[in-house]
Amino acid sequence: MEDAELAALAHAGDRDAFGELVRRFAGQARRITRAMLRDDDDADDAAQDGFLAALKHMGRYDPSRPFGPWLLRIMANAAADRRRRRRVRETQPLEPQTVAAGPLPDRVTDIRGLNRALREALATLPERQRAAVVLFDVEGYSHREIGEILDIPEGTVRSDVFHGRRTLREVLEDWKDWKRED
Amino acid sequence: MPDTSPFDHRPDAELGSALRRALDSGDDAAFVREVLVAFDGLHAGAAPGQWWAVLTGWARPGLVAAMLLTAAAAFTLGVQIGRSSVQPMATTLVTDPLNPDSGQVAVPAIMAGSEAPNVDYVLAVALGR
Repeated sequence: MEDAELAALAHAGDRDAFGELVRRFAGQARRITRAMLRDDDDADDAAQDGFLAALKHMGRYDPSRPFGPWLLRIMANAAADRRRRRRVRETQPLEPQTVAAGPLPDRVTDIRGLNRALREALATLPERQRAAVVLFDVEGYSHREIGEILDIPEGTVRSDVFHGRRTLREVLEDWKDWKRED
Repeated sequence: MPDTSPFDHRPDAELGSALRRALDSGDDAAFVREVLVAFDGLHAGAAPGQWWAVLTGWARPGLVAAMLLTAAAAFTLGVQIGRSSVQPMATTLVTDPLNPDSGQVAVPAIMAGSEAPNVDYVLAVALGR
């Protein structure tokens, strides 16, 4: 069944249809909220908020358009909301450049280390760059779709992807060099 | 290092898969279950046993507002009725149809006329106006 059909059924209160939509998009939703929020629990809460918000506003979804970008826009907003609320709670917000200004993470020897290094490198990027790179290189959305999701011009998406990639590729290349030396 | 031109339209498969691995949690099924529990919670709020409570909650302020409106309307109506009923009584009590100074048409004046009195005058005298 198409996403749009499931969306219509979910809007009518069909639990199974909503469950199927959640199953289809859980991975994407959780990855984008994880990319935007540093804490995994916060990210999952944001993703859950996003799915429930999507259900609430399902009537506004245009079935002639792809469901993914519409949903991920809601996810990005849910993550931004949660980040704002968390920032209010935090007495000392983290400096975005703190990690970037320092040396690259310690050389890593395994995939878990690479994962950690990539997460740390992601955390050094501005939020919009993080989201843009993940949506482009991980989820495979086009620049135009990412522009719709993040509500920014396509040219800004290209620039964000470029700058975000540059930092992340350094981490990846560093890890590959280490593996070759190993 | 791969080409990082800002005009590169192609996703970077290597970076993409590395990032996917870094961001994946691997327990999507548990997450889906949690979202569905939240869905059930939302819909339980609309169950027949609950909507009555919601309506009752709405009814309380509605009843209070209706009572206040009724009281205000009754007060306004009472004031208006009071005004309209007091005015004719005062006219009736104060004026004397037999007293020429009262400004009313008097019986002697009607009787003294050479022509037949106007019906309105007769009625006015009879009603004391």
